[in-house]
Amino acid sequence: MPFPISRRHLLAGSAALAGMSALPRGVFAADELVAATFGGTWANVQKEILAPYFSKKSGATVVQSPMLATAQIAKLTAAKGGPAPFDVAMLDEGPALEAIDAGLIAKYDAAKSPNFAGLYPQFQGEYGPAITMQAIGIAYNPKTVKTPPTSWADLWKPEYKGRVGITSLASTLGLAFLLDINRLEGGTEADMTPAFKKLKTLLPNLAAVSANFGAHGALFRQNEIDIGVQNFNFAEELKAKGVPIEFVRVSTGTPAWKTTMHVVKGALKPDLAYAYVDSQLAPDVQAAMQKTPWNVVPTSTKVPYEGIVASKIAKTPDDLKKMVFFDWKKVNQGRAAWTQQFNREIRV
Amino acid sequence: MAAAATEKSREWQLALPLTAFFALFFVAPLLLVIGISFQATRRMTGGLGLNQYAAFLGDSLNVEVLTDTLLLGVKATLLCLIFGYPLAWLFTRVSAKLQSLLIFLVILPIVTSVVVRTFAWIVILGRHGMVNDTIVALGLSAQPLHLLFSEAGVVIVLTQVQMPLMVLPLITVLQRIDPNLASASSALGAGAWRTFFKITLPLSMPGIIAGTILTYTACVTAFVTQSLIGGSRLLYMPMMIFQQAMDLQNWPFAAAVSVIFMISVLLIVALLVALSRGRAARLYG
Repeated sequence: MPFPISRRHLLAGSAALAGMSALPRGVFAADELVAATFGGTWANVQKEILAPYFSKKSGATVVQSPMLATAQIAKLTAAKGGPAPFDVAMLDEGPALEAIDAGLIAKYDAAKSPNFAGLYPQFQGEYGPAITMQAIGIAYNPKTVKTPPTSWADLWKPEYKGRVGITSLASTLGLAFLLDINRLEGGTEADMTPAFKKLKTLLPNLAAVSANFGAHGALFRQNEIDIGVQNFNFAEELKAKGVPIEFVRVSTGTPAWKTTMHVVKGALKPDLAYAYVDSQLAPDVQAAMQKTPWNVVPTSTKVPYEGIVASKIAKTPDDLKKMVFFDWKKVNQGRAAWTQQFNREIRV
Repeated sequence: MAAAATEKSREWQLALPLTAFFALFFVAPLLLVIGISFQATRRMTGGLGLNQYAAFLGDSLNVEVLTDTLLLGVKATLLCLIFGYPLAWLFTRVSAKLQSLLIFLVILPIVTSVVVRTFAWIVILGRHGMVNDTIVALGLSAQPLHLLFSEAGVVIVLTQVQMPLMVLPLITVLQRIDPNLASASSALGAGAWRTFFKITLPLSMPGIIAGTILTYTACVTAFVTQSLIGGSRLLYMPMMIFQQAMDLQNWPFAAAVSVIFMISVLLIVALLVALSRGRAARLYG
């Protein structure tokens, strides 16, 4: 017999396999944590710095699953009542409030996290610590844009006709840009009319409105856009990779938000989840992440600002407080209507 | 005799595993989606109603997106047919060696990941991409053309990506046509074109319809290609469903949009099937 496995064996084997895959996750891997992360820079930096640190400290392994904040909420919502699909969530401010409202994440027990007390007070969230601040500004190609831009208004210059890139409201980047335009035009989170009015006048200059973050970065790489909104970390990482790109803050104040980490409600490995989040707060980890090409803004009092973070974002913790913040609770209330209006206004 | 009869009467049991699979992983989720679409509020607090459907139909933007999507499918499918038919016809007329080369080229698009293929198209269609560089170098246009983030770009990419779904059924049907029929036609004095329109084209109709159904449904639902090549300024139904379900967590509305989209596509497919039945009845009946 050339084939030593009989039909019966094969059937039994595949049935067993099928049965195994139907079991909830975590039945076999005793010491495996599942943590959500963002795509791009975040997936890279956490894989390279956080995962090894965590494994060394806890003896466990971690599977890092890159997901948009909104996708994390969707998965947690879908799994509500059953075993959680992952143990640690990573969210921006708006989605974090939504997750708290929907009862998807647990209160953060500081007693289980020795590094938590080492954070600046504004980063010690009740439901989870802020692990960084994300800031946005203008990124441009220094080969094609000779005068460095200084404010959002530069995006409206006639010379940039068909060369500007922004993203849709699906990313916090696109949302924060629209909110800031609105603020400068005299609107509030309760009334976005000024922003949409202003956005309309930007249309001739737009080369692209990316549906997502990954596509937005690719457009800078492909010289498809010469100038546009961009996140500080992503711009600097592209630059470190050799893409001709420069990041500048806008003169009207830098829109910024906290990015937080949470232990999800019903986490299968709560202790490992705490160890993982705490590792992200460790001074060693935050110091390593502050180095180029990552330039992650630290939230720990024990990590002084250095390098590009110090030269472009903040020299002292007070500099962070001077940034522009939005009322994310109100933003969450308006987002559905704004998305539909955004769809309408930017349609070709 | 009796044994054979029992055997025959039990043959349907072979379909049981697939039926169970479909019921569990297709019918049940579909029913769930339909159920959710009747939830009156975003939070799904239990009240039922047609609110979501009313909200969709009450906004002209949504209806425009639906028609845009259905028309996008028509354009890409037509292009697939126009390019695919000669290719399939050629296939039936070349040596076996060339046939395997052709089939390899036809299948090639399906063996690479759709994301990879689409990113490759971004490079090709971009402002500084191969196509635009050539156009500018040849002096056909002073400025690079807007291919990326335009409907033309989406149609071009969909045509390449979905081509196998059109060509493979066409090849199957064209190969089955008796070559004697064409010979008889020309012996009776018909020219090449007349033979094509009177003999080959009508006989290949089942392949055209099958290919059209497959290509059309794949084109209108091609989320990755539509969103990456089209960008956010071109909105199609799959992206709208994604926005509602994932970005905004409005599952009842997303479900209603899905049901409306599904029914629209099913109606078009039903129309094509009816068309092919009518054809078949006239040809063979």
